[in-house]
Amino acid sequence: MKWMRSLFLYAVGTVMLAPFLWMILATFKTNRELFASPFGLPEHWLLDNYAAVLSRHPVSVYFYNSLIIAAVSTLLALLLATLASYIFTYTFRWRTGWQLLLVGGILVPTNAFMVPYYYLINWIGFYDSLIGIALVYAGISLPLSVLIIKNYMDTIPPELAEAAFMDGAGVHRTFTRVILPISYPGIVTASIFLMITAWNELLYANLLTQSEGTRTLQVAIRFFLTTFQANYPQAFAAMILAIVPTVVIYALLSEKIIGGLTAGAVK
Amino acid sequence: MIAKRHIVLYLMPAVIFTLLFFVFPLLYAGYISLQQWNGINEMVYVGLDNFGLVFHDPVFKKAVINTLLWICCAVFLHIPFGLLLALILARKPRGWKVFRVLFVLPNVISTTAIAFLWYFVLHVNLGLVNNLLKMIGLDSLTRPWLADVRTALFAHQLPFIIYAGLTMVIFLTRISAIPSELYEAAEIEGATNWQKDWYITIPLLKSAVLINMILNLTFCLRMFEYPFLMTGGGPANETVNLGLYMFREMITAGRYGVAMAAGLLTIGIGAAVMGTILALGRMTNRRAGI
Repeated sequence: MKWMRSLFLYAVGTVMLAPFLWMILATFKTNRELFASPFGLPEHWLLDNYAAVLSRHPVSVYFYNSLIIAAVSTLLALLLATLASYIFTYTFRWRTGWQLLLVGGILVPTNAFMVPYYYLINWIGFYDSLIGIALVYAGISLPLSVLIIKNYMDTIPPELAEAAFMDGAGVHRTFTRVILPISYPGIVTASIFLMITAWNELLYANLLTQSEGTRTLQVAIRFFLTTFQANYPQAFAAMILAIVPTVVIYALLSEKIIGGLTAGAVK
Repeated sequence: MIAKRHIVLYLMPAVIFTLLFFVFPLLYAGYISLQQWNGINEMVYVGLDNFGLVFHDPVFKKAVINTLLWICCAVFLHIPFGLLLALILARKPRGWKVFRVLFVLPNVISTTAIAFLWYFVLHVNLGLVNNLLKMIGLDSLTRPWLADVRTALFAHQLPFIIYAGLTMVIFLTRISAIPSELYEAAEIEGATNWQKDWYITIPLLKSAVLINMILNLTFCLRMFEYPFLMTGGGPANETVNLGLYMFREMITAGRYGVAMAAGLLTIGIGAAVMGTILALGRMTNRRAGI
């Protein structure tokens, strides 16, 4: 029984990850080698494909764009969601209604808003700019952020805020000195979710930009596919370069990321 | 208890964003869906013509069916597979932590990259699958997986089905919260591992099942990258789904009104499916007396 279980796990791992290894191996081959022996080891471990990609494409620009968009959209959504979640720890009129308004968007498939988002971003003058994409991502992610952070704040005992109030802290002081520091784990959870989503999004990054200077890594991957049509090993190298940052960060923080993903989803 | 100006100060930024990115788009999409418009010229009011057009479009019908098939894939293949992996890893076999990290890895890599990767894995002469088949002498099974009408749909859903790592960890977290006394009691009664899973673990996973249903349902409704990058909706519109249908109506055909009519219907279908799942969840809860 035990060996069957292990065998199954190894088989699943192989099916999931072999394609990645196959592609990495291919990046060291020439096009001819790849077609002649798709599984063989490369004759010489060439770095030419990587060099060609880096010299022909501003990969660092794409990387920078993706990073800025992910960071700005995450910070913005977190700020808005934390402020709103804090005020929901108080009771006031129509509180449930406001909560529904802010969280309800979770159920909306936002790619149905292609035309509205396109015009909204055009009207406010952010078409083909990083800030335009970041705004859209922050908007799309807001409901989930509110849900995660609000759920976390709900677990904080109300006595803490009451004690702060007794000590003479106002609404703002209670927020910055008491609630915000304790909510840190919930905010981290939300930020992991938001960073990954923003980093990986394709549709709106594609729809809201047109110049090379605002291209994100995901949009660039799509262009690699068309520009390197005849030279597969180079296209593969471009793609490996595009996913390496994600894999490195995941390798360093895997426990935290897995914990964050599940805490956010399960709460 | 709390002053109005404080409520306004803390709540308004989020409310303004929600109005801008959810309420306004919904209203604007509704308005556009009643117009004939290519994004440049004057809009012409056409009433419900766009909806009529969409309903009579066989490609739209195909897109709805395929979107529902994506959801079926999630419910009957992706989620059960994630559950199976979670049940196995929950017994903490040797190296389970490594397997957990490796199984989740594809879920942090972008769908775009995965789609690109599997496009080549299933490629007709270059691909991993066809070359493996040739190597073990099954040449007759090789085919252009993504271009063959009989296999394209399943082939381009394959990466979604097997990359069930996120679904798996959501189950795993819930399993680790089950008190061990339950299992100890079952062990005293002489229950086997599979009996423990079937009678103790799975019934207690209802909330995790619901979360996975909702997460995967929204993923399937938003699905765009796999059909867009792997098949382009082909062959012969066999793999077109709602996300791609809207995109093509807007960008390729320049029919903004039709795109938004389809968009509103997508939101409606999503709400209907979600409502059904929630209702089913509530029904099973009541029967279990929870």
